[in-house]
Amino acid sequence: MLGLIHNELLVIAGRWRSYIGFIGISILMPLILWGFSVGGEELHQDYARELGGTFIVVGSILNSFLATYIIMNTLWIHIPFLVTLAAGDSVAADGANGIFRITLTRSVSRFKILVSKLFASYIYTALLLIFCAFWSLGIGSIVLGTGDLIVIDNGILILDESQAWFRMAFSFLLAILVMCMVATLCFMFSTMVNNAVGPIIGTMFLIIIGYMIMGIPLEVFEKIEPYVFVKYFNVWWDAFKDPIPWGEIGKKLGVLGIYSVVCFGIATYVFINKDIKS
Amino acid sequence: MILETKNLTKLFGIRKAVDELNLEIPDGSVYGFLGPNGSGKSTTIRMMTGLISPDEGEVFINGKSVQKMGNKALTSVGALIERADFHKHLSGETNLKMLARMDGTDMSRVQTVLDRTGLGTRGKDKVKTYSQGMKQRLGIAQALLSNPRLLILDEPTNGLDPQGMKEVRDLVRELASEGITIFISSHLLDEVQKICSHVAMISQGKLKTAGTIEDLLKESDLLMTEIHVEPIVSAIKLLSNQDWIHRCEEKNSILSVGVHHDKISDLVQLLVQNDFEVSAVIPRTSLEDVFLSKVGAESQI
Repeated sequence: MLGLIHNELLVIAGRWRSYIGFIGISILMPLILWGFSVGGEELHQDYARELGGTFIVVGSILNSFLATYIIMNTLWIHIPFLVTLAAGDSVAADGANGIFRITLTRSVSRFKILVSKLFASYIYTALLLIFCAFWSLGIGSIVLGTGDLIVIDNGILILDESQAWFRMAFSFLLAILVMCMVATLCFMFSTMVNNAVGPIIGTMFLIIIGYMIMGIPLEVFEKIEPYVFVKYFNVWWDAFKDPIPWGEIGKKLGVLGIYSVVCFGIATYVFINKDIKS
Repeated sequence: MILETKNLTKLFGIRKAVDELNLEIPDGSVYGFLGPNGSGKSTTIRMMTGLISPDEGEVFINGKSVQKMGNKALTSVGALIERADFHKHLSGETNLKMLARMDGTDMSRVQTVLDRTGLGTRGKDKVKTYSQGMKQRLGIAQALLSNPRLLILDEPTNGLDPQGMKEVRDLVRELASEGITIFISSHLLDEVQKICSHVAMISQGKLKTAGTIEDLLKESDLLMTEIHVEPIVSAIKLLSNQDWIHRCEEKNSILSVGVHHDKISDLVQLLVQNDFEVSAVIPRTSLEDVFLSKVGAESQI
């Protein structure tokens, strides 16, 4: 299995499309960090205004933690899109390029091949988010410095620097798990078609539809909401609550896990029974 | 039998692409698989290699059912199905190493098969820089990677120039001489006749005939007979009017006539009675003639 995953990672590493996400992050992050360092005073004043009646703010509250906390909003749409670039290609590209005529005639089961492709997609997803964290927290610490993290969400939470590091790491870990669910969904679509664009569009379409259902305050949509997977995407915010709502996190991850298992189950059924005609 | 198909049937919609196909491929044979375009050759081969599931019937390799055992039944099989496609952005060597890793094949085999297929010095180049012929040779290299006992080749000479075709033909002969069973589909009847010991012909998914080439040529209803006759033009005129003569043409001043084997004496008698000088009568039935008699002249191979 490790050999198969190694193979899949070689294929992902060899495709230029796999680097779009990393290039995008490498362009976007310095820009955002530069924006924070230049226009940080404005943000500082906004936060200070919110805190004004309660606290006296000494120094700047703008640091790499706050910047990362704000940057993590890209996890709603942008990062899922970047994740789909590899996951969408995973199975579909091999079908379109005729690679399956070579690989599926060998003495390795289709299931093993499928699992290795999924794991490779997960590794890519994790690397993408770690890269994102490296820029926002790593480079961000150099550019903006570190300090306490002030979270304003149904109240004010001030986390000291050591806690902030832990919460950030935990939040990114949760984000990786959420994005793995996105990757599994895209992966499922990838087994059904012979082009990478379809899975990407299909996945993003479902995510956007999910946000729309959650955003429109209609009773009928509120009834559907518990079944919409994007409802549980916000699990990474739970890392910044005090105390950390472990039960809530477990429930959300459980639901996303069930979605992942169902998507992978469908992908397995489709792939194992697929006639390779191309 | 190293490879067998039993009542193999595949439907695409309401069309039967393969219809109750029964084949028996003896161990150590070079088995040619012939049929017109769309006759079900590729579908059959894809079912043999587990790429397509049959609607009915089974494929057995070394007695193991491909349909029941899945890819485990393909342990001793190397296959090249139609065009050889690889990860173009990776080198030929990397592609082969990936396949070796899949099978658990010794990595030293990679260079061995690259050398054997004439790609020894180009292994480190990306596949996208390869010519079609080189890709096809890489396709054969990957089929040989796991030291197979059975090699299944679907149109392996497609896209190759005459030199490339000869190289593949020589390689197939060489592999056959080492005891590897080869099942090969090809458009080229002449080529199949040159390298194969056995042949099966299918049309519209149905088996038309199968056996050793020698037997098929002997049993053929329609014999092509070369006749050295003078004057040849008048002889063609005479014979063309006979409804029991199927083909009559001149090739290098020799008359080539297609007749049923029980009519050859009538043919000679007719020529002699009409004062033609017949100096030699030589049976020259080719696989093409057998094919035309079994599958039909209207078929394009």
